Amino acid sequence: MENSSSEDAFDMAEVDDRIELDWEALEVGETFDKFEYLLTQEMIDTYRKGVMDPEASFPTIAHKVDVRQYNAKYTDAGSVNARCAFHCYNPPVAGKRLTVTAWIADKYLRRGKNYIVTEAVSVDEDGRLIDRVITHELKQPTEVGKKWGG
Amino acid sequence: MGRVIRSYEEGDDITPLVKEMTQDAINLFEGSAGNTGPSQFTDEDAAKEVLGTEGTVASGRMSLTFAIEMMRRHFGADVFNHTGTVDLRFLRPVRPGDTITFGGKVTGTSKEANGSRISVDIEVKNQKGDTTGVGQASAIVPNAYLAPEDL
Repeated sequence: MENSSSEDAFDMAEVDDRIELDWEALEVGETFDKFEYLLTQEMIDTYRKGVMDPEASFPTIAHKVDVRQYNAKYTDAGSVNARCAFHCYNPPVAGKRLTVTAWIADKYLRRGKNYIVTEAVSVDEDGRLIDRVITHELKQPTEVGKKWGG
Repeated sequence: MGRVIRSYEEGDDITPLVKEMTQDAINLFEGSAGNTGPSQFTDEDAAKEVLGTEGTVASGRMSLTFAIEMMRRHFGADVFNHTGTVDLRFLRPVRPGDTITFGGKVTGTSKEANGSRISVDIEVKNQKGDTTGVGQASAIVPNAYLAPEDL
């Protein structure tokens, strides 16, 4: 037990050991550590209220799992979602654990701006394929603020 | 009960979907996944810092969700929740107070091993008539739902 206080102190330090994004060096195909979470009925209910649809079937969309592990590893100036594709396979079920595999699917330069494409596939604890999401993120978010006129 | 025959033809309109965006809705969407810290979606200061905008914006993923809802209502959950796809590009921000209307039009059909893929063009407009998003979507309708002459 004596060790627990020092361990707690270490945990509370919250050292940010993320890597600053070097877009040029980022490798397409880089696959992140798997991410697991329990989908609760409360998550589903809150999501359905937020999207004003009592039958909304893919609360996984709000979890942004395709960029979660990227954001856990890298730090950058922020991003804006420029494009998002979603493939529905089977609606997730409350109380099941979901496992997400995410990777860098592509990167490209368009009109002088850097984009990163992340892709993720979710599978539940019974092996059911849930969904696939592919997101194109612009990595100079203030550029869109200028375009949008504040 | 006999089977219900469905028919999809190029040029068919998808029943539009209208949504009123509010900050509460945005907060619930973000909070449903445990994203409770300040962000460009939930906090004006964060929006100014990250995006340089004067107010918050809704995540593009909310528009994606609404496009999925429109498609699910049109094709049925039994079809769309298992075969549906939506690919949406976000052209302008959607902000709290905006009314956004999702519309779609069937652009074609093609044979698949387990049915026919119905392709749809999607457009999203706000209350000013500005296009906030465009994209494509599709659903694979099983042969059992289609008329024999469509197979």
